[in-house]
Amino acid sequence: MLTNRYDFAGKTVEVNSLNEAVHNYCAAYVSDAPVDFAITTAKEDIEYERSRAEIPGYSDGYLEELAVYRKIAEKMPYYDTILFHGSVIAVDGAAYLFTAASGTGKSTHVALWRKLFGERAVMVNDDKPLLHIGDVVTAYGTPYDGKHKLSNKIAVPLKAICILTRACDNSIVPVTKSEAYTTLLQQAYRPNDVIALQKTLELVDRMAEKVGLYRLGCNMELEAAKVAYDGMNKHD
Amino acid sequence: MKLKPYFIAHNSSNESYLVPTSGAEFSGVVKGNKTLGAIIGLLKEETTREQVIDKMKERFEAPEGVIEKDVDTVIYQLQKIGALE
Repeated sequence: MLTNRYDFAGKTVEVNSLNEAVHNYCAAYVSDAPVDFAITTAKEDIEYERSRAEIPGYSDGYLEELAVYRKIAEKMPYYDTILFHGSVIAVDGAAYLFTAASGTGKSTHVALWRKLFGERAVMVNDDKPLLHIGDVVTAYGTPYDGKHKLSNKIAVPLKAICILTRACDNSIVPVTKSEAYTTLLQQAYRPNDVIALQKTLELVDRMAEKVGLYRLGCNMELEAAKVAYDGMNKHD
Repeated sequence: MKLKPYFIAHNSSNESYLVPTSGAEFSGVVKGNKTLGAIIGLLKEETTREQVIDKMKERFEAPEGVIEKDVDTVIYQLQKIGALE
């Protein structure tokens, strides 16, 4: 068993794995702080991930990386933290999360933000950030940051969640909690443990009341990033 | 019949949701009004179609046949997604 400690959303997680790949993957997040909780993956966890994989042929190491994050995500609701599917970018110290079904263009849109804002923009996590829901919602970088490996080991207050859709013209509108809620539930990791799932639903409720909620229709022009940013800041 | 334990009923903003754990075969979210929420609430304990209809009639007034139709629709949808045992 290979063991090391990592920082996930301010909690120190002891990871006990079968494959070295997991530890290489999480290397930037190594921590020597006291352990908050430990997770251990076994062969059956790797096989579980294999059974859920849409494409056959993944290595055990890659599947164990997925199993490790699943186990961490199962525990996180007990620390008021959820795993959420989306791309988070920070501009001037405020984070914006774009969420949509895979393939819609979250990463493409966020790339436009980096182009528009240059050094003012910092990637938090391009795929699966952890969100802590306290007095404010805080987005955390994690090693699980998508195919382009875009993240930083930072924590940034989350200002808004934006549901992204493709459109010919760029427009953004605020949406109510009720309008956004089904998408938020679908994009949050839903634990297998019933109590953790109940906590997740409560956290999604609280999160939806603490951040701005928007729906963006966008194309791939640079103007899309400006429309999105302006739309989420015009009430400040 | 009864709701499977890995489906969680949840209310938010006057709407009712049925949410499965990650291990369930159905990966979507069921959304509905307070009628859905009430029927789901009754399905948390072992029951029958007739018992659900009787209890709904105690709680809601509706024209003849409406409650039966609502209950049958919800039960059908829940069976379709594998939410009932």
